[in-house]
Amino acid sequence: MVDMFASCTLLSVCMCLPDYVCVSRRGLRLGMAKVTQVDFPPKQSVSYSKETQTPTCTQTHTQAKPGSPSEEEEEEEMAEPKPAEESQEEKADQEEKQEEVAPKDLTEEEKMQLLHSEEFMAFFDRGSRIVERALSERVDVCFDYSGRDLEDKEGEMQAGAKMSLNRAFSDERWSKNRVVTCLDWSPQYPELLVASYNNNEDAPHEPDGVALVWNMKFKKTTPEYTFHCQSAVMSAAFARFHPNLVVGGTYSGQIVLWDNRSNKRTPVQRTPLSASAHTHPVYCVNVVGTQNAHNLISISTDGKMCSWSLDMLSQPQDSLELVFKQSKAVAVTSMAFPLGDVNNFVVGSEDGSVYTACRHGSKAGISDVFEGHHGPVTGLSCHSAGGPVDFSHLFISASFDWTVKLWTTKSTRPLYSFEDSCDYVYDVMWSPTHPALFACVDGSGRLDLWNLNNDTEVPSASVCVNGSPALNRVRWAHSGREIATGDSDGQVLVYDVGEQICVPKADEWTRLVHTLVEINENRDEGEELAAQRLVA
Amino acid sequence: IATFLGRKLQPRPQNEVEETLKRIQGQKGVQGIIIVNAEGIPIKTTLDNSSTVQYAGLIHQLVMKARSTVRDIDPQNDLTFLRVRSKKNEIMIAPDKDYFLIVIQNPSD
Repeated sequence: MVDMFASCTLLSVCMCLPDYVCVSRRGLRLGMAKVTQVDFPPKQSVSYSKETQTPTCTQTHTQAKPGSPSEEEEEEEMAEPKPAEESQEEKADQEEKQEEVAPKDLTEEEKMQLLHSEEFMAFFDRGSRIVERALSERVDVCFDYSGRDLEDKEGEMQAGAKMSLNRAFSDERWSKNRVVTCLDWSPQYPELLVASYNNNEDAPHEPDGVALVWNMKFKKTTPEYTFHCQSAVMSAAFARFHPNLVVGGTYSGQIVLWDNRSNKRTPVQRTPLSASAHTHPVYCVNVVGTQNAHNLISISTDGKMCSWSLDMLSQPQDSLELVFKQSKAVAVTSMAFPLGDVNNFVVGSEDGSVYTACRHGSKAGISDVFEGHHGPVTGLSCHSAGGPVDFSHLFISASFDWTVKLWTTKSTRPLYSFEDSCDYVYDVMWSPTHPALFACVDGSGRLDLWNLNNDTEVPSASVCVNGSPALNRVRWAHSGREIATGDSDGQVLVYDVGEQICVPKADEWTRLVHTLVEINENRDEGEELAAQRLVA
Repeated sequence: IATFLGRKLQPRPQNEVEETLKRIQGQKGVQGIIIVNAEGIPIKTTLDNSSTVQYAGLIHQLVMKARSTVRDIDPQNDLTFLRVRSKKNEIMIAPDKDYFLIVIQNPSD
């Protein structure tokens, strides 16, 4: 009897199923349903028993509408086969379902609808409450009092972090929309850093030149001191033997002096804007000498070099025109003094050449030209890590031609060219403690650390600044453990360098000697080959 | 369209959800919040797209497994909260019938 009924209902199911399926499912599944129907009858007969009927809601349905029992029976059958069918389908076509579900993504509209639905609000209410409670619990059940945990952590962090961002300095009012033009660390207070900025094009009423003194020691996010002046500041430095003074070289050619003892934000002393001083932008300022005998040296882009006494900025003590071969004025963009030298120095110019020069003596002025760069020289640095071997004849230069070149004052051809960058290299600096380590920054936001003893082809450590702004300046802290970079968005970022990179081992100096010998040999070989090719 | 799944939509101020999310995000050490629906599709997130998709997929699987484990042991029981504590951070999951709320926190921050 049950079987007969089952077969009747099977027929009805066959006829009715398509309609129901169309309404609630897509046509694709229609095909699959027909296939599984073959297995249906036995299952159906089993499920069609009073016991299983009771928990389902269709029981009340049949009782409520006795007038159309066949319809109700059909509906019951609908309810029964549907879930059975689903489970069948799920088992058989789980893969297909997964395929369907995985790529199906919700559109923004659907997401918004979901987010506005009642059940979502209820869920979110409950869920967020629990999560907030859990978040507020600061109990660390895994804390190990023996300290083993911390040791592991330190080891990992050392191994992993070659360079990690320590601080980011920027000021909403004074550094936004300005480019960082120069950086300098204070020699007396290692936590102080001065950054100079050029003008803010969006704020013509604000002073064009800003210099901010930042403090690394405290968590304060505002500058220690804020200084202004009327012209964009292109270079800045702490006056080496005067802890209260900050020197700035500006776009107008004026050199300004700020004093943090005064309450004013404007300079306490200014050089005159006359032909005796500078009339072109001053990109290089430096205090050289000793405590008792020091001068402020400044060079402007028209090749004029002036030396000043910090007590009297009304006129230069000495001035010198830097001309090459008595005719070509050198457009100086960068300057560097070798360690311990107050007379001889190197300058980089806009035409791509580096020149050595000296201040005093019969041959005062430009001595030699070092040609090699194909674009303006943006940064120069003389070797300054003192140690058992003297490398003060080495210097490096960065240029718009995407390269950093290593030179020695003993030869006018570059020793080596570092060509890993894909953008203008804006600045370069030797580490003050490690003899073979230097840092360079380029326009794509990369800060690279090169270790000559490790590898001369690729940087030993590299980090890309968030947002890839052009990095304009790089300065090692005097300890050699931190690097500050200034970018085109007015941000100053200070990175901690991992010990394994920045702390020199005892044999670094001797290794560098060997490295230099290798570099020299390679260079001579390279030149021989080039010469042979030319001949052939 | 005023109905979704046959239910009428209640227009609630979206601010509530946003405010709560901001509040949670502002708590100490919170790295990110993701809300995932029952199928594992993220519907709201404070992280970037690739991380969100990764977390949503992996955590969905984990929650399904955890839930089925709890239910297998005792069918009357159900999963209410899941916390995954790791060396570097902690992932808290508040599951529900239709959604999960995932919060990633770095407790040492």
